[in-house]
Amino acid sequence: MRAACWTGRNSVAVENVPDPQILNERDAIVRVTSTAICGSDLHLYDGYVPTMKRGDILGHEFMGEVVEVGRAVHNLSVGDRVVVPFPIACGACNACRRDEYSLCENTNPNARLAEKLWGFPTAGIFGYSHLTGGFAGGQAEYVRVPFADVGPIKIDDASIPDETVLFLSDVFPTGYMGAEYCEIEPGDVIAIWGAGPVGQFAAASAFLLGAERVIVIDRFEYRLQIVHEHTGAETLNYEDVDKVPEALKELTGGRGPDACIDCVGLEAHHHGPAYAYDRVKQALRQETERPFALREAILSCRNGGVVSIMGVYGGLMDKFPIGAVMNRGLTIRSGQCHVQRYMRPLLGRITHGEIDPSFVVTHRMTLDDAPLGYELFKQKEDDCLKVVLKP
Amino acid sequence: MATIDVRARDKDELARSLGWFSVALGAAQLVVPKAMCKLVGATGEGTAPLLMRLFGLRELAQGLAILVRPRPTVWVWSRVAGDALDVSALGVVAARNPGRRLRAAVAAANVLPIAVADVFEARHLSAQQGPPQRGRRIRKAVTINRPRDVVEQAWSEAQELRNKVDTAGAAVLFREASGDRGTELVVEYVEDSRAGDLGSVAKKLTGGDLPTQLADDLRRLKQRIETGEVVRSDASPDGHLLADHLMQRAAQPLESVR
Repeated sequence: MRAACWTGRNSVAVENVPDPQILNERDAIVRVTSTAICGSDLHLYDGYVPTMKRGDILGHEFMGEVVEVGRAVHNLSVGDRVVVPFPIACGACNACRRDEYSLCENTNPNARLAEKLWGFPTAGIFGYSHLTGGFAGGQAEYVRVPFADVGPIKIDDASIPDETVLFLSDVFPTGYMGAEYCEIEPGDVIAIWGAGPVGQFAAASAFLLGAERVIVIDRFEYRLQIVHEHTGAETLNYEDVDKVPEALKELTGGRGPDACIDCVGLEAHHHGPAYAYDRVKQALRQETERPFALREAILSCRNGGVVSIMGVYGGLMDKFPIGAVMNRGLTIRSGQCHVQRYMRPLLGRITHGEIDPSFVVTHRMTLDDAPLGYELFKQKEDDCLKVVLKP
Repeated sequence: MATIDVRARDKDELARSLGWFSVALGAAQLVVPKAMCKLVGATGEGTAPLLMRLFGLRELAQGLAILVRPRPTVWVWSRVAGDALDVSALGVVAARNPGRRLRAAVAAANVLPIAVADVFEARHLSAQQGPPQRGRRIRKAVTINRPRDVVEQAWSEAQELRNKVDTAGAAVLFREASGDRGTELVVEYVEDSRAGDLGSVAKKLTGGDLPTQLADDLRRLKQRIETGEVVRSDASPDGHLLADHLMQRAAQPLESVR
C-alpha cells in the first residue's frame, strides 16, 4: 500500500510499504477514506520529537471503512464507517476507567522509553514517534487499529460527509477539552493562543460552553479572520502590539482573561531578543521548547484563573514563570486529549447542528501529495489552515 | 511499574562513580597516551607516552577493583595515593616544559576536587564494620486493575515467570490496592552479581539481567490480565522488551506476521 513516511527532518515521502495485518485479537484493519495533517505532525516533521525513525508512517487523524476485524472485536463489522481516536486505549486499566484514555497504562509497548523521559509512560498514539509506541499512522491506504472495540466510533449516517466528522479523531475534542478545562462560568473571557485548527475549535468550544467573550491571538491575519467569521471570537494580532499581556489586560478592563488556552506548543514564534534566546537554546538542544505562548498565557491570566495547555510540549523548558503560577494562585490543566471521552457527545453536537467542524479545511489533496501538504502547512503558504488527504 | 534499588550495601554512588571515572581515564591513557601527554602539558616524546600508559594501567586496575569488590576500602585509598603521584608527576612536567605550564596547572586543578572525593569516600569505607555488605535489594511493584484472586490465579498460571522468580529466590507479595484500584503485585529479591557492579552493568547491556526482564514480564503480565493480550506495535512487534527499545524497526507493517 501507499503511505506517507517520515524520511528525516523536513522530509516526508509517499512510499510503498507492506499492508497491515491483524497482530492482536482486538485489532481491526481500516481502509482510510480521509486523513488530516495535524499541527503536532509538524513537530515530528521539523525534527523536534525524539525517537523518530526513517520510514515511520505518519498520521493520527483519520477515518475510514472497517475491512477486517480480529476475533475479539464484537462491536464492529466489516463495512462499518468509523472515526478513530488518536490515543490507543485498552479500556480496562485504572487510567481508562477514569476516562483518561490518553494515559492508558497498557498500550505503549515502548513504555520504558517514555517512563525515562516523563516519569510515567502514556498511551500509544498512531504515527507519533517511538516514544508513544511506534505504531504505524493513518496517512496511508490502510491502518491497523489496536483495541478497535474501545476507540473507534461508528458513523451510521452516510449523508454526513467525511470532513464533518473527521476531526472527532483529534483537533475538535482537543480544542473542546482545552475549553472544558477552563471551567467556564457566565461572563468569562477566554484568551486563546494560536488560531490553528485546535485554537479554532477551542474558540468554538468556549462559546459552546458559555463563554461571554473569546480573544484569539495569532500573527496570521487569514487565520484570525477564519476564527472571527466562524466562531465570533475577537482577534489580536500579536505583531501589532508591544506586549500581549498588557493588550489583554486593556481589553478586559484591567482584570485579565479568566482562563487562557495555549494552542501553540513548543515551536512558538515571537519577536525580539527573547525569541533569539530560546531559538538558539532550542537549536543547540539545550531546551526542547520555545515556550513564548505558554509564558504569555501564564503572565496574562487573571489571579486565580486557569491556564489550559493543549499545545504539545516534549521535554524541558527554560524560564518557566513559576512565581506567577504560585503567588497568583493559577491552576494549570493539560494533557493529550482523552478523545474517547468526547467523541460521542461531540458527534451529538454535530448532528444537532451546533457546529460543523469542516470549516477549518482549506486544502484537499490526494495521499500522494502529502509532501506538498506538509510544506504548505508548515510554511503557512496559500492561506493553509488544515490539509485533508484522500488516499 | 515501580523499581526500587534499596541501598543495602557499603559501596555508595560516589564509590561507583570513582570506579567508572578510573576506568574511563585509564582507558584513555592506555589507548591515546600521546594525546593525553599533550593535554597535561608534556611533549609526548621520549619515555612520556610509556609512563602515561603505566599510569593508565594503574587507573584501570583501581577502577575495575572498585567496581568488582563489595567493600573496596584499600582500592579507594590507593586512588588517594595515585592522586598524590599524579600531582607530583604534573609538577615534573611543569618544570620540564616551562612554556606549557598553564596546561599542567589546569590538569592539577582538575585532580584536586577528585582527590577530595577520594579521601572522603576512603574515610567513609574505612568506617564500615562487620562483614562487607554486598548485592542490591531490588523491589518491583505493579498495580493490576483486577481483584486479588484473579491476579493470584493468573500468577499461578504464569509458569515461566514463576520459575524465573523462584530461581532468583524472590519473595512475591499480593495486596489489595486502596480504593478499589485492583491488586498490587510486588516482587522482591537480592541481586548479588559475582563481578559486582561491573557484572550488573554487563548483564544490563546484554538485556540478561533480572531487573530488566522482570520489568518487561510484569508489564506483559499486567497487559494479559487487564486486556487479554500482549500489546504489539509495528516498531515493537514482540511487545514490551527493553532490550529492543534502542534498535527498533520503523513504524511500518511487518512483511509477514510472526
